[in-house]
Amino acid sequence: MSKFRKSLIVLACFASITLALTPAHSASTVKVGIVLPITGKHAKFGEIEKLSFEMAADEINKNGGINGHLMELIIEDTTGKPDVGRSAAEKLITHDRVVILGGGYSSSVTAAIAGVAINNGFPFLVNTGSADIITQPTAHTPSGKRINRLLKELAGANDPAKIVKLKEKIVVLQKRADREVEMILPRYAIFRLNPPVSEFADGLKSFLSEVVKPETAVILHENSLFGTRGAAAFAKSAKQIGTKVLFTESYDSGAIDFKPLMAKVKSANPDLVYMVSYILDASLLMNQSMELQLNPKLFAGAAAGFTLPEFRKTAGVASEKVVSATLWHQSLPFPGSREYFDKFRAMYGRDTEYHGAEAYAAAFVIADALRRAKSHSPSDIKKALKQTDMMTVFGPVKFISYGRKIHQNKLDTYVVQWIDGKLEIIWPPKLAKKKYVFPINWIKERQ
Amino acid sequence: MELLLQTLVSGFLKGGLYALIGIGMTLIMGVMGIINLAHGQLMMVSMYITYSLFALFGVDPYVSLAVSVPAIFILGVAIQKFFLNPLMKIDTILPENQVLMTVGIGMALTEIMRFIFTSDYKSIQTSYSKTTLLMGNISFSLPLLIDFFIAVILTGALFYFLKHTDTGRSIRATAQDRDAAILMGVNAERITSITFGLGAGLVAAAGTMLMPVFYLFPDIGGPFTRKAFVICILGGLGSSVGAIFGGITLGLVEAFGATYIGMEFADMIGLIIFFLVLLVLPGGLKRITGM
Repeated sequence: MSKFRKSLIVLACFASITLALTPAHSASTVKVGIVLPITGKHAKFGEIEKLSFEMAADEINKNGGINGHLMELIIEDTTGKPDVGRSAAEKLITHDRVVILGGGYSSSVTAAIAGVAINNGFPFLVNTGSADIITQPTAHTPSGKRINRLLKELAGANDPAKIVKLKEKIVVLQKRADREVEMILPRYAIFRLNPPVSEFADGLKSFLSEVVKPETAVILHENSLFGTRGAAAFAKSAKQIGTKVLFTESYDSGAIDFKPLMAKVKSANPDLVYMVSYILDASLLMNQSMELQLNPKLFAGAAAGFTLPEFRKTAGVASEKVVSATLWHQSLPFPGSREYFDKFRAMYGRDTEYHGAEAYAAAFVIADALRRAKSHSPSDIKKALKQTDMMTVFGPVKFISYGRKIHQNKLDTYVVQWIDGKLEIIWPPKLAKKKYVFPINWIKERQ
Repeated sequence: MELLLQTLVSGFLKGGLYALIGIGMTLIMGVMGIINLAHGQLMMVSMYITYSLFALFGVDPYVSLAVSVPAIFILGVAIQKFFLNPLMKIDTILPENQVLMTVGIGMALTEIMRFIFTSDYKSIQTSYSKTTLLMGNISFSLPLLIDFFIAVILTGALFYFLKHTDTGRSIRATAQDRDAAILMGVNAERITSITFGLGAGLVAAAGTMLMPVFYLFPDIGGPFTRKAFVICILGGLGSSVGAIFGGITLGLVEAFGATYIGMEFADMIGLIIFFLVLLVLPGGLKRITGM
């Protein structure tokens, strides 16, 4: 017994020493975990965000840091794969002992990391992953996941009896999901800075209905979470503005040859080709459309690949006059956005775009929350994030709940067009710096 | 009809390049008896050579074939000589040691290229990159058409080499029966090095020729290794004629799948065929052609 007691005392001593040492050890810095794709096919996006995060952290630390402590970024590579992202997040939480997670590129990976964060009751500020379900707590419950599967089935179902049956099932599951959410909510601290993908095309929608007025459209999308959700959301918008969707096709974002697909689009001859793509596929889609002389009234992209400077570099003239939804542009009237753009260019010798702005803004939102938090425990940081109300280069940030979403920042989206090799903001008209080019003479543009 | 023809053309042109990639792998497979899992990565290195020559000196991608192919040939020979041959001599429970080694080499090549060139997407924009020839309403991409012809020429040259030269015969002999070849006085170690170099050189040519129409980043090797593997199985492992059929079949299947079933399923259809071949026709097209 006495032996047992002794060992208990020794253990207790060790425990108290380690406990006493841990805060003392990290007193000088506050660790923030950032998960990004530094390698792999999304590396380009990861890089632009990493540089922006680092630039922001530098500025924050020069201006007093987090109440006198330095903000230290620990950046982990997700390689663009959900399973790697999950273990990276776990490592940051349990091994590196960061106080909050940030970053999260590509919807599939972000959703996986969000799962880890919820399991650990850990705060996670998402700044790019855009599938709607990320900020919908119901989607993270077992029943919610089943509902999502049933919804997909429902979208493809034709048999009326089956549709009724599916709908009944969903209603039952919804009730169960609502109960399950009650269990999750105390541990739910996912916040999102950027608009969800279902809202990406909101700005574009008014441009289409007021200027382009397309009668028919074809939707092409990459087949992961981001593309699938973006395409479904646009199909809904198309219905609202009276555009008939001829067909929707998905593809794998690593594909080499889009010719057969584009040939099929050409034979359907739509007014509008709407694409939800990452970068490599975006350039190839445009290059090969040009090769096949596919000339609809308008090519429109859903942000992501279509706004990166690399899109212009790799697609060349094929990118000319392509329109894209975007979440940010340097000429928007937010304080510091032009300065951020210029500073980025001066520091790294290249252009930045909305992904970088998201990351840059996210760093300031994290710093602001950490400064205000009573302690750096997950629940206190969550409380502080909830009270966030600030202006960033990316626009105003305030986390609200609407629809099924919780902790979601609501922002406008804009429309940009590649005019003479430059990405120009063209919509809404009151913010436009350049007049949109429409109708487009493709033969002339592509010479 | 137009759609059908366009699909046929796209599939065929892509198939030509696939064949070249597949032949390289199948050649190595035949002689070494192992799968070279760094195949796509060797192609990626060749693409970087082409890119560098273009970016630094403005060398046309087709001209740079004269540099990239010998360079990767030498790299291939060196890999075989210094990394794979020594493993052959060691008795282990795992004869697959060499396969594991190729995986490692593939990873190392990827990371070295990332270190030098970062993860940026690189591409070459030549004056003819987007040129197309129109025949009626069917478009032929000029670079892919040139690629196809070069692939045919290279394949022809390879067959001549294998059939009518001493080294070529030694390669075939080693592939058929290594021990017997050694007894007949063939220097098997030298032959395996040369074969690995040849296989690497062929895939290097494919990589270089892909540059005018495709993009480049360090992780591009993996998918092509996978494709090469599928092509080899389709054609029958170790069969060069089979690899040509395998390559063209894969190109066509992917194109038709993309047009008539769904682009999303293009890869899946290729793999289903792969599966069916293994089940129904083990040994692939080699069983039919016998070569």
